Amino acid sequence: MKKYNLLASLFFLGSGLFFTFYARSLEIGTIEEPGPGFLPYWAGILLSGMAVLLILKTLISNVFEEVVFFPEKDSWKRVGMVFLALVAYNLLLKPLGFTLVTFLFVGFLLKAIFPQGWITTLVTAALSTLGARLLFVNFLELQFPKGLLGF
Amino acid sequence: METINYLLQGAQVAFEPMNLMFCFIGVLMGTMVGVLPGLGPTAAIALLLPVSFHIPPVSTIIMLAGIYYGAMYGGSTTSILVNIPGEAASVITCLDGYQMAKKGQAGPALGMAAFGSFIAGTFGVVGIMLVAPPMSKFALAFGPAEYFSLMLMGIVIIIFMSSGSILKDLMIAVFGLLLGTIGMDSISGTQRLTFGVLELADGIGFIPAVMGLFGVAEIITNVERIVATTLVTDRVKNLLPTLKDWKESTWPILRGTVLGFFVGVLPGPAPVISTYASYAMEKKLSKTPEKFGTGHIVGVAGPEAANNAASSGAMIPLFTLGIPANSVIAVLLGAFMIHGLQPGPMFISNYPQVFWAAIVSMYLGNVMLLVLNLPLIPLWVKVLKVPYPILFPLILIFCLIGVYSLNFSQVEISLMIGFGVLGYLLRKFKFEMAPLVLALVLGPMMEKNLRMALLMSQGDPFTFFKRPLSAVFIGVCTVLIFSVLIPGIRKKREKMQETLGEEEA
Repeated sequence: MKKYNLLASLFFLGSGLFFTFYARSLEIGTIEEPGPGFLPYWAGILLSGMAVLLILKTLISNVFEEVVFFPEKDSWKRVGMVFLALVAYNLLLKPLGFTLVTFLFVGFLLKAIFPQGWITTLVTAALSTLGARLLFVNFLELQFPKGLLGF
Repeated sequence: METINYLLQGAQVAFEPMNLMFCFIGVLMGTMVGVLPGLGPTAAIALLLPVSFHIPPVSTIIMLAGIYYGAMYGGSTTSILVNIPGEAASVITCLDGYQMAKKGQAGPALGMAAFGSFIAGTFGVVGIMLVAPPMSKFALAFGPAEYFSLMLMGIVIIIFMSSGSILKDLMIAVFGLLLGTIGMDSISGTQRLTFGVLELADGIGFIPAVMGLFGVAEIITNVERIVATTLVTDRVKNLLPTLKDWKESTWPILRGTVLGFFVGVLPGPAPVISTYASYAMEKKLSKTPEKFGTGHIVGVAGPEAANNAASSGAMIPLFTLGIPANSVIAVLLGAFMIHGLQPGPMFISNYPQVFWAAIVSMYLGNVMLLVLNLPLIPLWVKVLKVPYPILFPLILIFCLIGVYSLNFSQVEISLMIGFGVLGYLLRKFKFEMAPLVLALVLGPMMEKNLRMALLMSQGDPFTFFKRPLSAVFIGVCTVLIFSVLIPGIRKKREKMQETLGEEEA
């Protein structure tokens, strides 16, 4: 846990300092007339201070708690693939269009994460895409990118 | 008399066919997310927010509130049949509910959970009706200093009640406040950290943040390993409890109702805490405490009543002060704001139709849940048979479409993915989500009230101590923060953390 606490502290220290320095480029104002930079400045300092405190607390702590980040050997692959699929959906939404990208997204997750048979994959991906189209495009009349298929 | 008039007006709105339909959709969806492990009411409400843009505000509030209390009903089904809590407030139901199911008494357990929930839910709504209007009048005396101190107290209480380290929770709350400053400053109009991105001018979207933190992060945590669900039985008989069951359960239900309602009003994960408190209380009061954990119907009836009453109680700070008591209510607050409704002391007088229609719809929703839930149990059993590997891509696609349809912008999707990563890592590093979400929602309001209080007092920082109510709120914050240093309280808190931690695991 020590390593994770240190990593988290560094992230929050960085964030706190970032907001503090950024707030200086805004008008911090005075206590009589606080400006737009007032809260980010002081809250940034507070966050940085607490992050330093957590670093010190972690460094002087004698408790060694063994924490396993991923519970199974291939957990990281599944986690990584879901994130990549989400990013790919966002990137391909415009070029491929809503229908195709939704079908591919569901199909990929079904096949790659906890691998399903081809029939289950194709039928579930097709039905969920159809359901999404009926609900969001036909019923709620939302506009989605049409992409290369044109629908 | 005035109350009855308002109730009748509310009934007129709530009984409109469209509102009845949305109440039905809300409670049905709520029960479903309650039944499904790995999808809580917070994520479900966030998921449906974009859909609600196309629905009038009253119907939206009716539907989303239905999801909240519907989830409390549904959670017990999974606890009893699968021994996995459908949502956090049903953890304790696993203890006796699952044992009852193993003995072939799944029917009475499910039936009593539903009746207990109905009784508590209905009493809870009466409680809101009686407590909320006078509390709103009291809150009219609030100025910026009181508001700031009250919101600060809300965050401090949620930190105190949550299951993480105080320092980490304080850090995550301050981080939430900082994220809340992104966007246009409401007083001077200055753009802060928007980097020219139009979508950030109104601040970080609450919905992408919540969907990322609760929806995406939860799914990614769940795909780390395969969790197999094994139904103890797929044939549920004798749903109606016997006279003996009623005799044993009536008082625990009533006690759970009163306890749950008052715990619900306090900020924090009230529905969860209320179930533990109810279970402990019943065990203490029982002449046969050894029966608890072996399939005792009282162990189901009391806690199930308590979590429903707590979900009603949690609506009071929202309606009267505009302050969310927990993360589910924080998402509801977001829904109010999206529809241009500002909950707070003036809410009931400014929008009597919305408030009273919501109250009447809650009565109706509770009746619907009772009438529908018992016959629908075979359907929920079928839903429970859908394996998670097939379910999670569908939930993710709903998140993606929902968040994109907010502004038809891919920036919102990017934000959701970013918050998903953040939420996943924060869970791993043992940080709590509730203080972050609450601070993110309350941040802009807190900043505005802090600056206004300082402006009005000509820079006197003691203004927060000079005004009596504000001083009380600040006093509570101070006592809570420093009480952690007292060994006895620290131990009690650590014990609670362990219990809540086990439940979250």
